[in-house]
Amino acid sequence: MKKKRIASKILWVLSMLTLIFLWAPMILIIVFSFSNNKYGSSWEGFTLKWYAKLLTNDQVRDALTRSLIVAGITVVVATLIGTLTAYGLYKLNFKGKQFLRTSILLPIVFPSVVTGSALLVFFTRLVHIPLGYISIIIAHIVFSSPLAVFIILGRMQRFDWSWEEAALDLGATPFRTFLRVTGPQLLPAIMASAMLIFPWSFDDFVITYFVAGVGSTTLPIYVFSQLRFGATPVINTIGTLFVTVTMSGMLLVYLIQKKTKSGA
Amino acid sequence: MQAPENSNTKTVSGICLEVRDVVKRFGDLTAVDHVNLQIRDGEIFSFLGPSGCGKSTLLRVVAGLENQDQGDVLIAGKNVNELPPYKRDCNTVFQNHALFPHMTVAENIGFGLVERRLSKSEIKKRVADKIDLVTLGGMEGRRPDQLSGGQRQRVALARSLILEPTVLLLDEPLAALDRKLRKEMQVELKRIQREVGTTFLNVTHDQKEALSVSDRIGIMNEGAFLQIGTPDEIYEKPGSMFVASFMGATNIFTGKVVSHQDGNIGIETENGKLIFAPEPIDDSNHPISGVSIHPELISLKPTNSDDPQADPTLQTEFHGTIKEVFYQGNFSEFTVALKETKMLLTVHLTRGMGYRHKLPEGQDVSISWDCSSNNVLRG
Repeated sequence: MKKKRIASKILWVLSMLTLIFLWAPMILIIVFSFSNNKYGSSWEGFTLKWYAKLLTNDQVRDALTRSLIVAGITVVVATLIGTLTAYGLYKLNFKGKQFLRTSILLPIVFPSVVTGSALLVFFTRLVHIPLGYISIIIAHIVFSSPLAVFIILGRMQRFDWSWEEAALDLGATPFRTFLRVTGPQLLPAIMASAMLIFPWSFDDFVITYFVAGVGSTTLPIYVFSQLRFGATPVINTIGTLFVTVTMSGMLLVYLIQKKTKSGA
Repeated sequence: MQAPENSNTKTVSGICLEVRDVVKRFGDLTAVDHVNLQIRDGEIFSFLGPSGCGKSTLLRVVAGLENQDQGDVLIAGKNVNELPPYKRDCNTVFQNHALFPHMTVAENIGFGLVERRLSKSEIKKRVADKIDLVTLGGMEGRRPDQLSGGQRQRVALARSLILEPTVLLLDEPLAALDRKLRKEMQVELKRIQREVGTTFLNVTHDQKEALSVSDRIGIMNEGAFLQIGTPDEIYEKPGSMFVASFMGATNIFTGKVVSHQDGNIGIETENGKLIFAPEPIDDSNHPISGVSIHPELISLKPTNSDDPQADPTLQTEFHGTIKEVFYQGNFSEFTVALKETKMLLTVHLTRGMGYRHKLPEGQDVSISWDCSSNNVLRG
């Protein structure tokens, strides 16, 4: 009994420490982004001037726009590819299906450095795609689509396929069946993967760094380059922005999943 | 296909569904084995058999959800082998109902009409009609997860019937319901069928359900029909060992025919007991292999040595000891160990017969039944 109590206390302390290490830096960044201290490293009263500075900084604005465009296009294309791939992997039987299904994991488990440098060589030496928007977007689609495939495939495995048979039986062609039954059933999973892919793409540093080329800086790369001159309070505001974007994505996923669960 | 409401779709031949020499294999397993079948207009026909006998597979072949390896399926005289499910004039009620969870009751029922591109007002009118038919008034706006099992069942039925198919296929639709609800839905199913006149093809593993709802029953085992007939034929005159035991005639005496006299045949069991039965009038070339007797046709009384021996060509008599009594409420099931043969006989006595205090376990009893009740088995 006593042993158990000690064990649960130790567990509690460990959990708290983990949470503090996870959250303290982020909370500090958010707090200091509103602080008057010009190094952004201690509290000297509330201010919004760093945010004003962020908005008037052209470099930041360009990088932010670029990041949003890249993430936006990536979300749409990767989700579409992911949906179709998952559907094909689930519904069709062909030789090498299991191999393909496993190999789709590769971009997720490969070190980003490997993927990044491989893509760089591929773009510059083999297909001659100029480094910039296009190369960044292709790279992002490469590492995001597998995520969509896995989320949607997971949903399909819990899917009651008799709905699809019922629709066919009631006179809907396979295309109409996808439109009226399968699609709407997969929508929560498609939305969830979009919500996860957006912050993934928006945050990515390593792979983007390899394929960005000169002059097409995304926000994470801008932040990294600024850090070389020491942390400025503007970096804190960008950090806050990242945390907010990522957290709202996660929150949306949570809400969608909660809604689907209560609906199913 | 666009027949007016409640019209009884009649085919010229009177045969709305024909299955010719259909074979369906899954790898090494032959699920449907050279099946031939004709379903008549307006009847309720049940495929009855144990699970894995191929009954659902045959239904799915008819619906077009599985492709047969061999043979033809004809709906209303038209070969539909090459037609996909969405072009066949039959609709299915699935075992788990397969309602669309993101649609309301009305949207589920109207699903097929939308595919036929009917006007919104026409769809609304027909959906309202079908909601009346299945008595779901007031539920139009609900989603499937807000309905009870029986209500979902009705939605699935209405969703299929609204397309006025030549044949309605029902794939064990009542299996998921509890016993009381299942009984209610059987009554309901029969009422609805009589009202719309559509041919129902019902798949079930429940003998009682098949007996009470069907006009005809086909008993399936190992991918083939063993016997097709009306419920009373199937129950009272099972033709083979399998059908007899599957339909609850658990008392089976195997033996060989040793005599023919006065319209009776004498069958000698392995233990040398002679059992007489009416000479069968069919011209089957399968050899007679035994007789079956239903538990409710047997009478029991305590053994009394003064009783005269009955004429063995009129009464089949045995002696035995009651091994066990299972009280069932409206009747009691007795297991009797027979002295003449080593087998156990099952006897059902209804409450009305006042057996309760006279027949405890261990009691020696005389058993008898009319020879005319003996049912001859073949194969």
